[in-house]
Amino acid sequence: MSLRQDLRTVSRGWRWGRTPLVPASAQAHRPALEAREFPTTWARSPAAVAVRTAVQRVGLAPLVRSQVAVRTTGTEVLRDLRGPVVFVANHSSHLDAPLILTTLPERWRRQVAVAAASDYFFDTWARGIGSTMAFSTFPMERRGGGASGTTLATDLLLEGWSVLVFPEGTRSSDGWAGEFRRGAALLAMAGRVPVVPIAIRGSFPAMPRGRGWPVPGRPPVRVRYGQPIRPAADEDAAGFTARIAVEVGRLGDEDATDWYASMRRSVEGTGPLTAAPEGARWRRVWAATEPPAVTRGAARRSPWAGWSDSAQR
Amino acid sequence: MTRPGFVLQVDERTPPLLVHEGERMRLETFPLGTRVIYPPESLPGLPDVDGAIRHALLNPLGSDPLPELLFRGMRLTIAFDDISLPLPQMQTPDVRQRIVEAVLTMAAEAGVDDVQLVAANALHRRMTPAELRRCLGERVFRSFYPDALTNHDAEDRDNLLHLGTTDHGEDVEINRRAAESDLLIYVNINIVAMDGGHKSVPIGLASYKSLRHHHNVHTMLHSKSYMDPPKSALHGSAARMGEVVKEHVKIFHIETTLNNDAFPSQYRFMMKREWEWSTRDQATMLAVKRGLDIAPAKVRSRLFRSMEAPYGVTSVQAGATDPVHALTLENVHRQQLVEVDGQSDVLVVGVPYVGPYNVNSTLNPILAMCLGMGYFFNMYRNKPLVRPGGAMILYHPVPWEFSQLHHPSYVDFFEEVLSESTDPATIEAKFEQQYATDPWYVHLYRTSYAYHGVHPFYMWYWGAHAMEHLGDVIWVGADRRTVGRMGFRAASTLQDALEMAGGTVGRSPSITYLHSPPFAIADVR
Repeated sequence: MSLRQDLRTVSRGWRWGRTPLVPASAQAHRPALEAREFPTTWARSPAAVAVRTAVQRVGLAPLVRSQVAVRTTGTEVLRDLRGPVVFVANHSSHLDAPLILTTLPERWRRQVAVAAASDYFFDTWARGIGSTMAFSTFPMERRGGGASGTTLATDLLLEGWSVLVFPEGTRSSDGWAGEFRRGAALLAMAGRVPVVPIAIRGSFPAMPRGRGWPVPGRPPVRVRYGQPIRPAADEDAAGFTARIAVEVGRLGDEDATDWYASMRRSVEGTGPLTAAPEGARWRRVWAATEPPAVTRGAARRSPWAGWSDSAQR
Repeated sequence: MTRPGFVLQVDERTPPLLVHEGERMRLETFPLGTRVIYPPESLPGLPDVDGAIRHALLNPLGSDPLPELLFRGMRLTIAFDDISLPLPQMQTPDVRQRIVEAVLTMAAEAGVDDVQLVAANALHRRMTPAELRRCLGERVFRSFYPDALTNHDAEDRDNLLHLGTTDHGEDVEINRRAAESDLLIYVNINIVAMDGGHKSVPIGLASYKSLRHHHNVHTMLHSKSYMDPPKSALHGSAARMGEVVKEHVKIFHIETTLNNDAFPSQYRFMMKREWEWSTRDQATMLAVKRGLDIAPAKVRSRLFRSMEAPYGVTSVQAGATDPVHALTLENVHRQQLVEVDGQSDVLVVGVPYVGPYNVNSTLNPILAMCLGMGYFFNMYRNKPLVRPGGAMILYHPVPWEFSQLHHPSYVDFFEEVLSESTDPATIEAKFEQQYATDPWYVHLYRTSYAYHGVHPFYMWYWGAHAMEHLGDVIWVGADRRTVGRMGFRAASTLQDALEMAGGTVGRSPSITYLHSPPFAIADVR
């Protein structure tokens, strides 16, 4: 075998320039992660915030809108809310964080930090610096056990920064929401801040796992913000997490149907995002890749839908 | 924290996997679904090996402390494992040196004058003075060589003693000096579960007359496997002989186990799981592979022979043979055992550059067969990794090359015996006696550095269990003439080999790749 063939074998096998993959059967046998601190404080300095705001406004937002047809609803819930909060969203695409960052009102956008998987977004210095600068990310261990990420998130809340968390820990492989982990609930309880649920529909068919760019045709995507929720006095993290997951699912359903129907289906546990079809994986992917209707068909509107409901198409 | 071994299922995310093939290596893309057995990660070595040795000697199992066994005027013999262990050779100081020095320090304190050191090489080649010095250190070598530091000579009739027979009628004949000593200390390195225990004295210090009782086709076919001593007829015979030896001489057994650090740090990628290779590992692998591909054969050999393993010692135990060996096996299994669910249709192994019988020498075709079908095939407990009638695919170039110095009888065995038959039982009946008693081979064994004339037969018997069990044996990248002489087939690629094995195992066989070295013992459920 020539050197060229060897190089090709190694570069393909180990995915040079891309994130290396771990075989599925080896996931449980991965080595204990070494504690590696990635400083991100610099990214929250006034200068970095100013640069990021400019980049997001003149670069990221137009780029996102040029590739997908975004419709945002529910941002009015943030109008009278005082931060910080923990934003919690379902996660099925790399589009999700940019969608939220470009649909948040600017007052919120300037002071939101995104919890990002340390093994993916911070595996190299270049990737870490890039994602921190563009999205104000900070590293979080998705397999748990990373005390530093959780501590940093709590500190951020105490400093007045809101935190965006995708509690599934990874992008959905079939478009349906996976199990929510307790990190977001624990964080909100530790920081004594509310959780703002967000449902994203359409990002999976627009740019699923394995794609580096949205599909052509400017597919429709919906981002719906929900009312802030707080833990009950006697509620533990597991119970609060379950409530957050239900609310995120219900918001997605509300986007697809209407508020009242979503409430009914939420009680019955048959709403979208959480109630994936039974059977083969292809059926779940098939259902999840059905794009949201381009026209607004919902007859009954959310009771808190106000003037801003039609904003940001 | 050391991670245990595990069984990987090859999927789309799995990078190409490293496969050894003699003095080369390759990256192989295995079919989806292939099971890959990875040994446990290397256990941490003992932080204070000398302290552990001293503790073992002073607190032995089933024996009085060593200082209490030593006395002025006694005859003390220290036997030690020969150059066949460990593989590759370990960085100096060798653990045998550390142990022998500790024992000799106690012997000197006790005023023992009559001390003899013997390499327990049985029918293996003698160790050279340089090898003895490397194994035991300058201090021991200078004090005892050549008169009191020798190789065991299994053909020296004057220095052999017949101790009797076992209840199975097996002759027990071992080194006279060892048998007539007041105390025989045996210093062992256990790198696989087959080593040590009663295999040390009754085999390492034995003669052909004694060895033929277990080094034969019948015993090998009933050793399933010889890496699982309780189910090994070979070990059963050795244990019976051990009981006879014990009646004549007091044995103080010192056994050690090593971790899986089989390669120097610059080749550490060979011990890592491929998807965890860093950029540096990938670059090193590419450089090593390219270097080996273009290097002349002599340079390749020199590179590999200069390789010294930074083995860590994971345990030292001393005392009576049986309790010591039980603990030794526990420690070997702690490092090597991997649970595997069921057998597969095809077993794939990469045969590396060195086996027990070609240290500082050539891995000739018979030794390549022995390493692959003797050692790797037998790295199991309960049942083989491959089903009866399944196929085995091995990677090695198997060149038609022999060391005339070390393996003279192998040349004739390959040319004369294998051209007539490859059936172990036929070969045993027709040719063994002739080779075992050939005066020229005996002369070379005793005066040169040649393996005994009968040794290639034993290597062939070593593979008898695999030959009987398997339906097909295919060597990837091998010399067709060479493997053809041995009764096997050659293929250019894994895909070709699987295609060829299709007649035996079907078009969609289940495949298991034993990712070794370092060693792993599959506990097949």
